Amino acid sequence: MAAALAATTALGLTACGGSDSGDSADSKTVRVTLANHVWTENIKKALPEFEKSSGLKVEITQLGEDQLSDQYNVKLNAGSSDLDVMMYRPLQEGKLFAKNKYLADLTDKVTSAKDWNWDDFQDGPVGATTFKDKVVGVPLITEQEVLYYRKDLLKKAGIAQPPQTLDELKADAAKIAQQNPGIAGFVARTGKSAAVTQFSSFLYSMGGDFIDDSGKAAINTDAAKKAYALYGGLIKNYGPKNVSTDMSWPEAMAIFTQGKAAFYTEADSLYANATDPAKSKVSDTVGFAPFPAGPAGSKPYNVPSWALGINEQSKNKDNAWKFIKWATSKEMVLANQKAGVPGARQSVWENPEGTATYPKDLAAAIAVSTKNGVGHDRPLVIKVPEAREIVGQPIVDAITGQDVAASAEKAQQAFQALLDDENK
Amino acid sequence: MAVQTPAHHAAPARSAPTPGWARWANRHMKWLFAGPAMAFVAVLIIFPVGWTVYLSLTDAEGSVRADKSFIGLGNYLDVLTDTDRFWPAVGRTVAFTGVALLFEVVLGMAVALLLWKPFRGEKWVRAAILLPLVATPVAVGMMWRLILDPNIGFANQALGWFGIGPQPWLSGQKTALMTTAMIDVWQWTPMVVLILLAGLTSLPEEPHEAALVDGTTGWQRFRYVTLPMLMPTVIVAILLRGIDAIKTFDILYATKGKGGGSFHEVETLNVYAYGLSFDYNEYGIASAVLVIFFLIIVGSMWVLTARRKEDS
Amino acid sequence: MSRKRTPYSVFRVVALVVVVLALIGPLVWMVLASFKTTVDIYDAGKAIFFTPTLDHYAKVLKQANYVQYIVNSFWVAFASTVISSILGVPAAYSMSRFSMRRSSLVVLMARVIPGVSLLVPWFYVFSNLHLVGGYTVLILSHMFVALPLIVYIMMGFFDSLPLELEEAARVDGLTAIGAFRRITLPLSLPGIATGGILAFIFSWNNFMFALVLSGAQTKTLPVAIFNFVGYASIDWGGLMAAATVVTLPIIVIALFTQKYIVSGLTAGATKG
Repeated sequence: MAAALAATTALGLTACGGSDSGDSADSKTVRVTLANHVWTENIKKALPEFEKSSGLKVEITQLGEDQLSDQYNVKLNAGSSDLDVMMYRPLQEGKLFAKNKYLADLTDKVTSAKDWNWDDFQDGPVGATTFKDKVVGVPLITEQEVLYYRKDLLKKAGIAQPPQTLDELKADAAKIAQQNPGIAGFVARTGKSAAVTQFSSFLYSMGGDFIDDSGKAAINTDAAKKAYALYGGLIKNYGPKNVSTDMSWPEAMAIFTQGKAAFYTEADSLYANATDPAKSKVSDTVGFAPFPAGPAGSKPYNVPSWALGINEQSKNKDNAWKFIKWATSKEMVLANQKAGVPGARQSVWENPEGTATYPKDLAAAIAVSTKNGVGHDRPLVIKVPEAREIVGQPIVDAITGQDVAASAEKAQQAFQALLDDENK
Repeated sequence: MAVQTPAHHAAPARSAPTPGWARWANRHMKWLFAGPAMAFVAVLIIFPVGWTVYLSLTDAEGSVRADKSFIGLGNYLDVLTDTDRFWPAVGRTVAFTGVALLFEVVLGMAVALLLWKPFRGEKWVRAAILLPLVATPVAVGMMWRLILDPNIGFANQALGWFGIGPQPWLSGQKTALMTTAMIDVWQWTPMVVLILLAGLTSLPEEPHEAALVDGTTGWQRFRYVTLPMLMPTVIVAILLRGIDAIKTFDILYATKGKGGGSFHEVETLNVYAYGLSFDYNEYGIASAVLVIFFLIIVGSMWVLTARRKEDS
Repeated sequence: MSRKRTPYSVFRVVALVVVVLALIGPLVWMVLASFKTTVDIYDAGKAIFFTPTLDHYAKVLKQANYVQYIVNSFWVAFASTVISSILGVPAAYSMSRFSMRRSSLVVLMARVIPGVSLLVPWFYVFSNLHLVGGYTVLILSHMFVALPLIVYIMMGFFDSLPLELEEAARVDGLTAIGAFRRITLPLSLPGIATGGILAFIFSWNNFMFALVLSGAQTKTLPVAIFNFVGYASIDWGGLMAAATVVTLPIIVIALFTQKYIVSGLTAGATKG
């Protein structure tokens, strides 16, 4: 009986083994983990041709952003080798992953691939995927913040052109909100963590930053307080009724594409959600403009939002590299950019075809942003998630009408403590 | 699969002598039967618990494989003096569990009394009662997100018919936690109803009939006859629900996401521990929180079971 | 208090209707929303009367690979339930007959531990054992819920089973194990069904373990619908269709096995 029990249990377990962990060196299967993104959808469509030409089998795991980081945490922590290629956020996990030695050193690989041309990648993004002079990732998608707006509502309000300054943005939003009951003048992300990246352009344009040049926390400066009050005030005064403070881009985008808001500041890489008639009720009247200028000018972020890296524990690094090389080749970046995903290759941006499919005003707005852009959209620290929650607190406090100055002072202390802790 | 029906009933008496291994097996049947299950649980529990206790005494962060140093009770000190996140999370855990349990027991008792006497169509009502508690919690969370959406949800429309203004529900800083508690009440009151019904139907009838003869009111009968006899069952219901309510995760995570919302408005200890582990990678502090959380659960269970022993 | 039908009073009818509506209403609302176009979901006037569409279901089942997730959920629930029964039923028998209260506490401890504390260490161990990547980790983690449940239910069941039959069998010359196999086990089928069905349901609904431990090919339904939110924009219709796909099978199972579920959930509740 006992033997039978043990046998059945063992059988049961081995039968449920599913895929084995394929530890043979250079297995023909490359395991790739990707985030939910337009880029991923495009890559999946193109995959068969790569599999045919390379003779490799690509196994894709596709996850939402939150679950992606949970999975990485567990798997990389356990030293798991069943991830080969990882799509990761250089500004979010980059420092942590590199510090924990989760990312393989790709320096030799990128420099030796001559016709793939590493030099073609823009400096800003490359800086973000380089750690202590070692290349640990290949930038995949770049993002700039732009202003999404509704041409029809502006026309109705007699406003000739999209707002050039943040003051004009406020005035226009107020005017439109007053004219159209049920339509918000302005919408943007409101979730504490999610809003930080989109708030950053407001902060820079007001003349502030998260951390000053001497490495000290700087979110209680006058510029920062003004930026918090402006961003939060726009949503509180002219935003949607009963606004939730948990909105990330899907929720904010939904309000804009349902025709319930006039202005929306968001990453340009998501523009297809607003221009695709299948997803958006306002696809024919949406316009794009450069980020409005503050006292310090128009200073939107310009960042590599996603990159591809190889797991240090992977037993299949060479084949993983083959996949990355293909996915970031000139042709693929161009194809992706045509499908609405801005890439990091200079030559593709210079190629007229690279921006041919973009709405004209969006291409113009991006050109402006890449010129004045700031290379980070969140505090550059190791503990990004905690830092984002700290610097994001005054945003939600401003949205809910609490004392912004006091909140910024409190956040400053917490943020400085975090910086001190990291620089110990 | 797990069960073999006997080929022929009742073996003939004293058939072939049993082989040696079988004799051994019979002598050690007690542990042979209980051993595998206990070993499974022990292996799956002992290592994680030991590991968690060990990590809670170190400054592990970033990666569990990174270098860490032993810091004694430092994490516990940090956690217990943290009035920003830890104590509010304890407060929310207590509030969520307390409110949910209170409503579940009171409503559950009312519904159980309602269903106690048989009536036409009770089969249908009992089937209806079962549905919320087998529904998948994550799906339930999504479902309520739509119903409680401040702008397009049915809940605010319904309030509008009675002239009540729209409520923020899940998106309100002050209302979110109680809203999630109410979702828990919707999902789990049926379980309390079932337990109390089982208790009610097993009660002896004489005391009730005697009370009826004495001409007492319905409320008096409930207060002085039914409730005291049902008390042990009520305690069991509270115990079973309490263990699960205090560890609620699915509904909170499915409705508010990481960190329990922008103001951590639904961040209970379980959600906080999850965030510390998987969002912040603060393994040392997370482990300390988990150890304290575990002690809270075991402590409250112990109090309840001690009460139960006194009562019986 | 004889069990005879009592006549309806007005109050009772109203109370019953309110209870049933409160419990079923939201679920009905969810199912209705899954058949509405997105525009109709936003339209309060179309609450009950609307032109149904199957688009959301087509999208969920086609685009999102849901058939695979349904299979995953089913397989993980089935395997963890069966293995837990094989381990749990004899254990419960032994604990009940030999009054191993302290040992049973070890198994019931599993019900109390917060799941978060298990995830990282488990993964660490399993990946070093090269078990990760398939269903094994998921099945083991779900057994962690199923086994204590089955032991708990079966202990109650065996406690209430009279000893006489086994004793008679022993007099007839059966060994202790033989008596268990030929007499007790066939009698305990209802109990095993009860424990098994509940274990299956709890596994099907489990979210936290699968959230962290499942991969692309092994993702279970609850994780799949949680991921749905990350798509394009809040697609309420699609989300409700996904939620319905997850919930409906389990509701159907529950309606057919009502009796067992009730006896399982109330096991041990009426012991003083």
